[in-house]
Amino acid sequence: MATEGDLDDLPQAVAVPAKRARFSAVWIIPILAALVAIGIAAQRILSEGPTITIIFKSADGIEAGKTFVKYKDVNIGQVTAVRLTDDFGKVEVTAKMAKSAAGLMMEDARFWVVRPRISLSGISGLSTLLSGDYIGFEAGVSTTRQHNFAGMDVPPIIVGGSPGRQFVLNASDVGSLGVGSPVYFRRLPVGQVVAYDLAADGKSVQIRVFVNAPYDQFVNAATRFWNASGVDVSLSANGLDVRTQSLAALLEGGVAFETLPLATPVAPAAPAPADAVFTLYGDRVTAMKHDESISQRYILYFNESLRGLSVGAPVTFFGVPVGEVTDVGLAFNPKTLDARPRVQIIVYPERLIASLPVSQERAAEAALREQDERLAIVRRMVEERGLRGQLKTGSLLTGQLYVAFTYFPKAPRVKLASSGGLYEVPVVMSTFPEIEAKLSGIIDKLERLPLDAIGENLKASLATMDQTLKDGSTLLNHLDAEVVPALRTTLDDARSALGSAQRMLTSTEATLVGPSAPGQQELRNAMQELGRAARSLRVLADYLERHPDALIRGKTQEASPK
Amino acid sequence: MSTRILAAAHAGLVSCRTCGLLVRPVTPTHVGHCPRCDERLSWRHEHAIQRTWALLIAAAILYLPANILPVLTTNTLVSSQSDTIISGVIYLYASGSWPLALIVLIASVMIPLGKIMALAFVLISVRLRSATSNRQRTRLFRTVEFIGRWSMLDVFVDTFVVALVQVAPLMSVDPGPGVVYFMAVVVLTMFAAQSFDSRLIWDAAHARQDRNGH
Repeated sequence: MATEGDLDDLPQAVAVPAKRARFSAVWIIPILAALVAIGIAAQRILSEGPTITIIFKSADGIEAGKTFVKYKDVNIGQVTAVRLTDDFGKVEVTAKMAKSAAGLMMEDARFWVVRPRISLSGISGLSTLLSGDYIGFEAGVSTTRQHNFAGMDVPPIIVGGSPGRQFVLNASDVGSLGVGSPVYFRRLPVGQVVAYDLAADGKSVQIRVFVNAPYDQFVNAATRFWNASGVDVSLSANGLDVRTQSLAALLEGGVAFETLPLATPVAPAAPAPADAVFTLYGDRVTAMKHDESISQRYILYFNESLRGLSVGAPVTFFGVPVGEVTDVGLAFNPKTLDARPRVQIIVYPERLIASLPVSQERAAEAALREQDERLAIVRRMVEERGLRGQLKTGSLLTGQLYVAFTYFPKAPRVKLASSGGLYEVPVVMSTFPEIEAKLSGIIDKLERLPLDAIGENLKASLATMDQTLKDGSTLLNHLDAEVVPALRTTLDDARSALGSAQRMLTSTEATLVGPSAPGQQELRNAMQELGRAARSLRVLADYLERHPDALIRGKTQEASPK
Repeated sequence: MSTRILAAAHAGLVSCRTCGLLVRPVTPTHVGHCPRCDERLSWRHEHAIQRTWALLIAAAILYLPANILPVLTTNTLVSSQSDTIISGVIYLYASGSWPLALIVLIASVMIPLGKIMALAFVLISVRLRSATSNRQRTRLFRTVEFIGRWSMLDVFVDTFVVALVQVAPLMSVDPGPGVVYFMAVVVLTMFAAQSFDSRLIWDAAHARQDRNGH
């Protein structure tokens, strides 16, 4: 206990009037802190985007917290959870989307997993080898919001709203086409097959193709599509003609289109609207032959046998093919028992125009476009110039007939008649009966020949002939001995040439196409190597991520497992 | 208490908090200034309790964003990852380096939280005029004061890593916003500890001694 005296020795404090604040200003600090915290919370809540779920078949390559959802290569979300669906059949991926992407989550938005893909038409998604797979996204056009989506198994062919148009092709079967098969225009790849589906009635197949801009403007009403898969080989008077599109098309199929040359001179036809429907023809020849837009059917009644005339036989006008036979049959009258051979033909006036000089094409086509004018021309041809149909032999060997139109100025005047909605073009008899008549005249003359005198002469001649025959026999022997072996050698050579051609084809198939083909094998090996390289890069990156210090200090010894 | 305690205040004296000079106050209400160093004198630190509470509450509030927001963003060639303090601890633990995880957990999570709780406990006990285990409470307070500077460990690690690992595009590390709040928590708790007057712990004991009628 200190004494009073000790305390008195202590110095006295100096009196200074003090001002006292009742409330400490220090409380501003927690208030500020609270404001900051509230601000962060508010920002978090406000920037909260929607949470969506996507159903995939498998979660291959998808990792919670690591897989992003990307749209046009911009991150718009992140996978937060991956779990099996309640029935364990599929995988439900939950992703948290950015607030800015909330407006994209419409019901027709599409999701798919982007991973490296290799097909004959190209390699895609290579960047994912390093970055890991991500979920691709494609916005839809709907305005209905949705938060549950079904993921696509394969990435869509057309993404990012690429400019261009889709068209629908009707075909009897898909053939070797598949999604992603190229579409060619003048052998330039300009689009792809996007989808195919059976028509509702199951009788045809609808193939959707996408043609990129600006090539889509070349698709118009006169455009013909055909299946360009495989090789088109045709043998004609011009020689061997081989048509292919590209090696890829050869292997995986493709669609080609071309616009009929005729439609262009008049006026460049307006491009076909999106989703316009076209027919997919089997090959280029059929595709370019038919033109339903301008065609006229006629009927012809002949008075002679139609043996040798088949459907598809050409119809010519002064030798220029203008159409074909569509039906061969009879017209029978039950009362009179009259039977007349009936031939229906289809004529494509455009082909006629195509054979005109360029200077006349425009006028001719303008005239032929209108059906009335076309008919008027045909009527005048029949009535004033004597246009007649006639059966002609195309080939003396096979006896195939075709229908030829020519002017017969001396033919009796007939009017162009209409029967059963079809115009009947008058005919003239073919020239075979004339030949027959001439032949009978020859036979008559033969009968009047002095056969006895001839017989006498003949006997003398026979003796000479005997000698000649002997000579002939020697000649034949000579031929037999020398020419025939040579001919056989030639044939053998030809056969071995064919054999080696076949072997070459087989080995080509084994090298390029077969499953165990070295080419395939090497491609697969190369891809595996690439995959391995990518995996080690990934391992390195992962390691770096986990041990950033490794960059400075190098890799530390991993603890060996016991 | 076996030994009697004489506090300066009890004897009607006041000590200067700067130079430690023991002086007699002018009047009990107006203590005045130190004659040696001219520091304003007070019986106890001015508004000690109120100020400590304010700083402590601010620290407690900022403790939340410090732990929720990422403190470190690692960008590698292939990915980018943001880590909060806790996720960093989990990551370290999961990758096998549990001693490191433990250090970070203690230094960056438990110490700031422990400091806040310890200070709150001391403040509440002072408020309740608790006179028991004064020594322990004082020791607790001293520990808080001493340990304060060490919880900056996380911030140091962050700044080092950010400065060293900048080998873009291969790898780069960027600080996250969480580190700012974390730093604020540490600084605020240090200030809170400083603004507290440990003598307040003993005042209750004296009051009790007086009441017990010495």
